[in-house]
Amino acid sequence: MRPRNGLRPGFLLVFQRELVWLRRRRPGLLVLVTLLPLGLMGLLMAIFSAGLATRLPIAVLDLDGSDLSRAIVRTVDATPDVAVAHRVADLAEGRRLILSGTVHGLLMIPRDLERDVKAARRPEVVFFYNTQTLTSGNLVLRGVSNAVPTVAAGIRLSLRTAQGQPMDAAQASLAPIPVQVHGLFNPTLNYAHFLLAALLPSLLQVVVVVASAYSVGLDVETRHRLAILRRLGGGLWSAMAGKVLPYTILSLMVLGIADSVLFGVLELPLRGQRGILLLAGILFLLACQLLGVLLALFLRSTAMAVSIGTLLTAPAFGFMGIGFPRLGMSAFAQGYGTLLPGTWYLTARIDQTVRGTPSDLSWPPVLILAALVIGLAGLAAWRLEGLRARRRRAGTGRTTAVHGGSAP
Amino acid sequence: MSAIFAVFRHELHRIFTVRPAFSVLILAAAIYAAFYPQPYLNEALRDVPVVVVDRDGTGSSREMVRRLDATSDVSVALVLPDLPSAQRAVFERAVSGILLIPGNFERDLLHGRPSPVALYADASYFLIYQRITGAVSAVARTLGAEVESARLVGAGVDPAVAGAVVDPMPLTAVPLFNPQGGYATYLLPAAFVLILQQLLLIGTGLLGTTPDPDRPRAGPLATVTGKYMAYLVPESLILPFYLIALPYLYDVPRLGSTVTILFFALPFALAVSGLGLIAAAVFRTPLAAQLATAAVGLPVFFLAGFAWPPEAMPEAVRLIARLLPSTSAIDGLVRVAQLGAPLSEVAEPFLTLWALAGLYSAIAVALAFRR
Repeated sequence: MRPRNGLRPGFLLVFQRELVWLRRRRPGLLVLVTLLPLGLMGLLMAIFSAGLATRLPIAVLDLDGSDLSRAIVRTVDATPDVAVAHRVADLAEGRRLILSGTVHGLLMIPRDLERDVKAARRPEVVFFYNTQTLTSGNLVLRGVSNAVPTVAAGIRLSLRTAQGQPMDAAQASLAPIPVQVHGLFNPTLNYAHFLLAALLPSLLQVVVVVASAYSVGLDVETRHRLAILRRLGGGLWSAMAGKVLPYTILSLMVLGIADSVLFGVLELPLRGQRGILLLAGILFLLACQLLGVLLALFLRSTAMAVSIGTLLTAPAFGFMGIGFPRLGMSAFAQGYGTLLPGTWYLTARIDQTVRGTPSDLSWPPVLILAALVIGLAGLAAWRLEGLRARRRRAGTGRTTAVHGGSAP
Repeated sequence: MSAIFAVFRHELHRIFTVRPAFSVLILAAAIYAAFYPQPYLNEALRDVPVVVVDRDGTGSSREMVRRLDATSDVSVALVLPDLPSAQRAVFERAVSGILLIPGNFERDLLHGRPSPVALYADASYFLIYQRITGAVSAVARTLGAEVESARLVGAGVDPAVAGAVVDPMPLTAVPLFNPQGGYATYLLPAAFVLILQQLLLIGTGLLGTTPDPDRPRAGPLATVTGKYMAYLVPESLILPFYLIALPYLYDVPRLGSTVTILFFALPFALAVSGLGLIAAAVFRTPLAAQLATAAVGLPVFFLAGFAWPPEAMPEAVRLIARLLPSTSAIDGLVRVAQLGAPLSEVAEPFLTLWALAGLYSAIAVALAFRR
C-alpha cells in the first residue's frame, strides 16, 4: 500500500500531489481560481471607483424666464445629484435628448410661473425622468425633488409673512412634521462600495463551483483515478480533504486579498466580528466546492459538470437579493436563493461588516452554511461509496467471468 | 461562393450535432428565458416591514401609524415599547426600519410647533431604504399639510390661499417608459441582451474549439463568412424570441418597432460571433473556453453602463466597455425597444456595433489565415 516515493498515504500526500499537479499540469486552472477573480474584481473596483454617481445631466425647458424660474434652475443645478446640461426650446427637443440618452430627465417650468405663484394659483413644475434606467432615474428625481421644495419654501415664507405672520412662526410652520431620517448601517448611502462587497462572493461562487467541478471531473472521468486518490489518501475522508483543501486555501487567499483592498483601501466599514466573518467565508468556499464535487460525481462528465455549474451559478446574483431584495421575491426565487451558499455568506458578510450585528444574532446564516457543508459532504461521500461499490461489483463480475471462461 | 455555402452547411450541421454547443446555443437559451427573470417577477417591493416605537400614544400618532400601514410600500409589522428592542428586531432582520414617534408629538402639533419624528431605515439595501423613506416622508408631508392648512383656515385665511401657502408650486414628477418603476421592466430588457451575448459567445467558442476533422476546404474569408451565416440561422429565431417575445410574455412595455429592433440586433449578432471565433482561437479547448467565460457575465453587465451610469465611470473603463458588443447593444436596444427611439437617435451605438463587427471579423479572418 506504500507508494514508491516512501511518503505515507494520508491527507498530506493527496494535498501536495494536488498542488504540484495544479502548478505543473493545469496552469490554466490555477489562473482560473486566482488571477481571473482578482482581475475581474479589479475591473469592478474601477467601474465603481467614483463611489457615488453625481452631476447626472438633465435638460431644462424654461417657458417663464423670470427671476423665480432662474432661481429654480440654479438651485437644481446646485444639487450634487444633477447638472443642468442642456436648455431646450420645446418639449420635442427635450424628448429627443432623452431618447438619445444625452440627458436623464427634463424639467419643465411653465409659462407665467412667477405671476401665478404670486397670485396663489399653484402652478405646477413638471419633471419628466427616464425610469427605464432605474438608478440614474431615481438619482435625478432625488436631486430635483430636493431642489424645487427648497425654492418653494422661500415662497411659502414670504406668503406667510405677507399674511402677517411673524418670521419665526412662519419658519416653524413650514414643515409641521419633519422627518429626521437616519440611514442605518450605511450613513453615506454609498451603494457602489456596498455592491462591490457583494459582487466579490458572487464572482467567487461561480469560479469555485466551476473550478471544483472541473478538477474533480477529471478524476471521475479517468478510470481508476478515484480509487488511486482514495488509496493515496488512506481513506475516503482524508482523500477528499486532501483533494478539496488546496482550492479552499487558494480561494481564501483571493477572498483575503480582495477584502483587504475593500476594507483597507476603499475603507468599507468592518464593524462585526472578524472571526465569524472568516468562519463564514471558509464554510462558504467549502460549500461551493462541494457543490462542484457533487456535480462532477453525479454527472460523470467534466464538460457537463462545468456547464451545469455555470448554468446554476452564473445567474445566481439576482437570487441572492442584493439588487432586488429577497423579501420581494416569488416563492420559487426565494427557495432557489435559500439553496445557494452565496445567499447565506452574503447575509453573514453584511452582518459582520456594515451592520455589526450582535454576536448572539450572528449565528443563523453561519449555521445554515455549516449545515450546507455537512449535507453536501455527506452526499458526496455517499455517492463516492456508491461508485466504489459499483466498481467493485463490476470488478468481481469481470473476474468471475474470466474464471468461468478458464474453467473446464 | 460554393466554398462559403459548404462551410455554412457544415457549420449549421455542427450546431445541432456538437452536443455542448447545442446545449448552450439552444437549450440554455430556453432555460434562461424561464429561469433568469424569476427574482424580479413581482416588479415592485411592497409592504416592507417596519417597527413603530410610539412614545406618544395619542390619536394623532396612531393616525400617522395607521396611514403608514395603509401605504403599499410599507407595512407596520410590530409596535414595540422601546428603541433597544426595536433595534434588535432590525438586527434579527424581522423588520427593516424603525419609526420613532416621540412623546408630546400631538401636543407640539396642536401648539403649532414643529413636531419631528425620527426614522431609522436600513440603508444597506438600496430599494428597502428608498421604500421606507419615501413612504414615511409622504405620510408625514400629507399629514403635516393637512394640519397646516387647517391651522391657516382656522386663523381666517381663505382656503384657496391656504392651499397655496402650504404648497405654492407643486412638483409633478412624471416617470417615463417604466411608469411603475418596476424592477423587471427595468432589468430584463438589458439582461436579455447580455444573456444573448454570453450564450452566443460561449456557443461559438465551443464550436470553434471542438475538433472538426472533416471540415470543408475553404479560404479564411469564406470560412468566417460561412460560419457567420450558420450562426445567424439559430439567432434568427433566438433574437426575436429574446427581444420581442420574452418582453411581451413578461409584460415589459415595448415602444419600438419589431423591424428596427431586429435591424439593430444584426450587427450585434455579427460582432458577438466574431468575438466567439477569436475566443475559440485563444482558448483552443472547449473546456477552457467554457471555464474562462463562466464568471465574466457579471462584470460585463456592470460595464454596460446600465445598472451604474457610465457618467460615473473612469474614462479608461468606458473605453474597455465599448469594445464589448453588449455595451452598445444594451444601450441601443433598450432605447430602441423600450424608449421607442428611432434609428437616427441610436446611430452611435449602431455604428459602434458595425465597427466592432468589422474589427472582430478582420481579426477572425487573420487568425484563420494563420492556422
